[in-house]
Amino acid sequence: MRRTEIRQLPPDPGAAEDTGRDPDLANLLARVACGDHQAFEQVYGELAGPVYGVVRQVLRDPAQSEEIAQEVLLEIWRTASRFDPARGSAAAWSLTIAHRRAVDRVRSENAGSRRELKAAPDLSAADEDVVEVVAGRLDQQRVRRCLGGLTDLQRESIKLAYYGGYSYPEVAQLLGVALGTVKTRIRDGMIRMRDCLGVDW
Amino acid sequence: MKTPHRSAGPDDLHVLTGSYALDALAGPERDAFERHLEHCASCDAEVRGLREAAARLAMARAVEPPDRMRRRVLAATYRTRQLPPALDDRLSRRASIVRLVLPAGRRTAPARHPHLPRAIAAVVAAAAAAAIAFGVVSQVTAPPRPPAAISSVLGARDAQTETMRTAGGGTVTVTVSWDQREAVVTTAGLSSLPSARVYQLWVMSPAGISPVQARSAGLLRSGPVLASAIRPGDRIGITVEPAGGTAQPTTKPVVTMTLPV
Repeated sequence: MRRTEIRQLPPDPGAAEDTGRDPDLANLLARVACGDHQAFEQVYGELAGPVYGVVRQVLRDPAQSEEIAQEVLLEIWRTASRFDPARGSAAAWSLTIAHRRAVDRVRSENAGSRRELKAAPDLSAADEDVVEVVAGRLDQQRVRRCLGGLTDLQRESIKLAYYGGYSYPEVAQLLGVALGTVKTRIRDGMIRMRDCLGVDW
Repeated sequence: MKTPHRSAGPDDLHVLTGSYALDALAGPERDAFERHLEHCASCDAEVRGLREAAARLAMARAVEPPDRMRRRVLAATYRTRQLPPALDDRLSRRASIVRLVLPAGRRTAPARHPHLPRAIAAVVAAAAAAAIAFGVVSQVTAPPRPPAAISSVLGARDAQTETMRTAGGGTVTVTVSWDQREAVVTTAGLSSLPSARVYQLWVMSPAGISPVQARSAGLLRSGPVLASAIRPGDRIGITVEPAGGTAQPTTKPVVTMTLPV
């Protein structure tokens, strides 16, 4: 008898190939670790857009975003020797540094004054119409499609946490749901994103 | 990793993999989870997978940065020493992922840890992070002090850091070494001034003592500024002054902060 189950969107067959493992970037980082400036220029070419984009998504302020993105890119130069290709892709390593740095900046600025949490903020891409968005169209479509496969609560929680830079207790407050609910929705949603995007680590 | 979660014990922590991968854990909970990760291989594996997924979220929002950023970053690499490869894998992971990504301003005094290597790594990281900030900006403004003096304060064993928001937006971060009797002041996101105005840093006498005595510690452009010969109880203040600065403050400070003791 055929077992029926509600299936999430299948992994995108092309996903792992073009943005999945990034041997080139990993090799470039290995050269950067040896002080190769030319290799770093290539790394810059690959990563400056995503780094600046995600920092700006969280911070919004262009001047501050530029400052933080510069620090992050120089941090990549400085700590390239600590990148371990066995533990993840070079892009994820770099963007983890970028996102965390942006979030830390938001939280240190909000340390004194509690962030206003009355209304959920607009999480559309920062100034989508003004700045040139350089994300590959495929990347964007794939992410949008996979986000579309989540429940509303999973999707909103993930967007507020990642694009908004909110902590999960803040997300819970914004959405008016219990802490435990947000924790599990974020995890379940991210597992579905991982599977839908065909990420393989 | 795909087991249903129950309500008690380690599963409680395990469910935080998603929030951790999105940097949605704040402060103590993040620290606790990172300690947990060291002993939970399945959590670690799950975090890595979810971070890859999070990276795709970032890539989908890639934006072309301003051209000047490229010039600045590439120029700064020629002034920035790189970290050597890590010899102890675990130490390096902690140092590079946990410590380096924290801005120097959020760290408090090191050396609370009995783990000496880790403390050293943190201190080196703090100094290097400052050197980076300095490197990036120093081509824009003439360096007010050699980076060594600034790194020496930021890397001091007794370094203490405090960050404060200014009334007009932006933050000011002060790192003090009482051993060296010096403080390093950096700012971020202060509202921009017309070209005929500058931010000037002052070392001011303790609150409650009047008249207030203030001596200039220099102009704040975008790089860190060193304040020397500080005394406990001193405050720092930032005022808006005519280009070139003044001998005494002529406006009300946009921020004052008592140096952390």
